[in-house]
Amino acid sequence: MKPLVLLLLSASLLAAKPTPTPTPAPTPTPVPTPETRDQITARSKALELAGAFANDGYKVRDGYWGGMLEPGKPQILEINLFAGNSYWVSAAALSPARKLSVKIFDENGKPVKGESYEEGLAAAAGLVADASGRYFVRVELVEGEKADFCLIYSYK
Amino acid sequence: MPFRHAILSAGFALAACGPLLAAEPLTKEQIQSAVLSEAVTIPTPGEFFAAMDAQGQPNWTQLYAPTAAGTTASREQMALMLGVLVADGYMAVEAQDGQGVKNTGKDIINLAKKLNVSQSVLSRGNSINDFAENNDWSALREELEATQNDVKLSMAEQKDDGLIVLVTVGAWLRGMQTASDFISKNNTPELAGLLRQPAIVDYLLAQLGRLPERMQKAELIGEVQQKLRDLLVLVQTKNRTPPSQEAVDKMAAITSGLVAAISKENKEP
Repeated sequence: MKPLVLLLLSASLLAAKPTPTPTPAPTPTPVPTPETRDQITARSKALELAGAFANDGYKVRDGYWGGMLEPGKPQILEINLFAGNSYWVSAAALSPARKLSVKIFDENGKPVKGESYEEGLAAAAGLVADASGRYFVRVELVEGEKADFCLIYSYK
Repeated sequence: MPFRHAILSAGFALAACGPLLAAEPLTKEQIQSAVLSEAVTIPTPGEFFAAMDAQGQPNWTQLYAPTAAGTTASREQMALMLGVLVADGYMAVEAQDGQGVKNTGKDIINLAKKLNVSQSVLSRGNSINDFAENNDWSALREELEATQNDVKLSMAEQKDDGLIVLVTVGAWLRGMQTASDFISKNNTPELAGLLRQPAIVDYLLAQLGRLPERMQKAELIGEVQQKLRDLLVLVQTKNRTPPSQEAVDKMAAITSGLVAAISKENKEP
């Protein structure tokens, strides 16, 4: 059995397992904090979508990022990508959210060209990085109410 | 188109998949407010090595030379070394060296025990062995990252927060050493461009700057901070241009020196 699946199963059983949560800049911290049942469910949904890309050779990162998404308040995450690698950034939210959007931007904040997948509570954005360095991911609640979300990315 | 194929192969609706729609650029305020989450913001050595594969096809069997960890009583040095070993594990996976992965996994677990990590981390050693036995390289990449994340989780539970970033620094340095050493001998603009990682060095320096004063005073930590500042100058290029050959050579020398300092025997606590 794949370690990710094992991880997910154990996470579902142990609702109190700690996990990293978003920390606003400029005081980032890697210290993990406890994860709620909703956050675990959101991660499970994000992994479900990321699993689709794993079928095509994408390696899913074990690390993830999650938190609360509110209407009109997109969450922005900084990531570092390598030129030549292909990436899919997958996110999922829970009800009462209804529609999610994921967009990727370069280090100057310009939207990058790529592919997107949006289907209700799950969304993903894919790109082949043309330069190594800093990129930004914007996760936005397009429709619905405040809800937990989780983001995972895959590469190949 | 690989992306669309990925979606289709999973049975998702084609109608839902398409080019990224035009979006408004991010504002300066949005960029400044971006979240940095170590678990996703910092790439794994595996990602770095995958990019090297795409750009230069290194011979990993030749490149893989496991780091011999010297005995140390310093917990900070152990944490840095643990990161170095995780990167070694990824190299062994790239070299498809099952015994090498097993040996590195054993070294990681032994070092983790000395840092009093939880039982859940120790069981990862068995998984690494099982996956190595079955040559399941993809699962091993995931397991190595999961092991590293479990170690960090355990450190956080023990209020050893300062050690977490040291594991990340160790892994990043070893990945950078491997890459810069290879690229200095096989330089192409595409390969050298992979070394341009100023945001990561910035992040690591900021985290090291938040370490407790006691840790900051340790000679090795001071050396790591100083050398990271030197590296920052080298990896910061204008207009996304790749670092020069001279800069790559310097990166290889700096990172090799640091990995040697991290892995040397040290009887001081």
